[in-house]
Amino acid sequence: MIDPIFQTDTYQLARKLLDVSALRQQAIASNVANAETPGYRRLDVNPAFETQLRAQMSTGAFGSEVLKPTLSTDPSATNTKPDGNNVEIESELLAMNRNSVEYDYLTQVVSSNLKQLKMAITGNIT
Amino acid sequence: MTPIGAVNPLASSVLGRLDPAELTGVGGPNAAPLPPGGTAAVPTDSFSAMLDNLVGTVNAKEVAATQQTTSVLMGDSGALHQSMIAMQESGVAFSLMVQVRNKLVDSYQELMRMQV
Amino acid sequence: MNLISGVDVTASALNAQKIRLDIVAQNIANAETTRTAEGGPYQRQVVSFESELVKSQQANGGLPLQTVKVASISTDPTAGSKVYNPQHPDAGPDGMVTMPNVNLAFEMVDLITASRAYEANLSIVKNAKQMAEKALEIGH
Repeated sequence: MIDPIFQTDTYQLARKLLDVSALRQQAIASNVANAETPGYRRLDVNPAFETQLRAQMSTGAFGSEVLKPTLSTDPSATNTKPDGNNVEIESELLAMNRNSVEYDYLTQVVSSNLKQLKMAITGNIT
Repeated sequence: MTPIGAVNPLASSVLGRLDPAELTGVGGPNAAPLPPGGTAAVPTDSFSAMLDNLVGTVNAKEVAATQQTTSVLMGDSGALHQSMIAMQESGVAFSLMVQVRNKLVDSYQELMRMQV
Repeated sequence: MNLISGVDVTASALNAQKIRLDIVAQNIANAETTRTAEGGPYQRQVVSFESELVKSQQANGGLPLQTVKVASISTDPTAGSKVYNPQHPDAGPDGMVTMPNVNLAFEMVDLITASRAYEANLSIVKNAKQMAEKALEIGH
């Protein structure tokens, strides 16, 4: 009886994307830490995850399997330095800021869903 | 005095579109989706069965929340956000159950006050 | 409990950059040292980094995060420049003194790069902490 009220698409999607955002923060930490390590390739969340997520959303079988984001070397990173390292600190910091705002937004989406439910159940506004 | 069972038609119409068969925590490894517009398997034969169902779901949510929180506490998982969400969900489920219980008690007391 | 994500990785980077800064400071301090315990002028030291995979990560089959550590602190063997200064106590018979192979401009650039990397890692960990604090406010 209770599960369906937690099954709205935006709520479920926000939960999954929170995992992605948290994982991306770790990838950025690893990239910045290794910004001068020879031969290090930049890591990011595997872009295959997003395509799989879209496929799931369009077929409506959302959440039917455990879809977990993973890290892989970023295929779109160019600008390799002579020692094989392709990390640029400035773009990592920009990505960190963008990711941080995304995380805030997703927690707001989840929070407002939960607060609405609480309001509906208890009848209190706060 | 109408038996409690007469509440069933209302219960089944309101709850008709809900599927309580998935007694697992949301987001857990066994979480199954509700097919959009899916119809119910609410046990409409008895109000007490429906209540059992409710308690079972709330319990499942508690278990899922405990699982998530334990894995964060033990350091196995750094997913603080999932633990927070699971705790909030179990709180909401519990609060729903408490409200249902309150309404039941109130309606019982109302019935008992009726003059025969 | 690892509530702040990626903190191990960032801590290793802060450590490594600190060691690098120390070595740069040592090089600058010894830029004029013409006599060391081994004899001969001071040779500048160079830090090299290497990454190490974090073993406990990514049970889902993705790539693990990588911490960084100082692989070695090696001595730069290139000979320093010779300066003509016959009054110097370490001058050779031809009046030439071999100076340390420390190039101050190079060391300053290294200093600035190491500081910038250190600050970048600090902002990463600060951001991760803010994200964790936002997560704690879910539902409130």
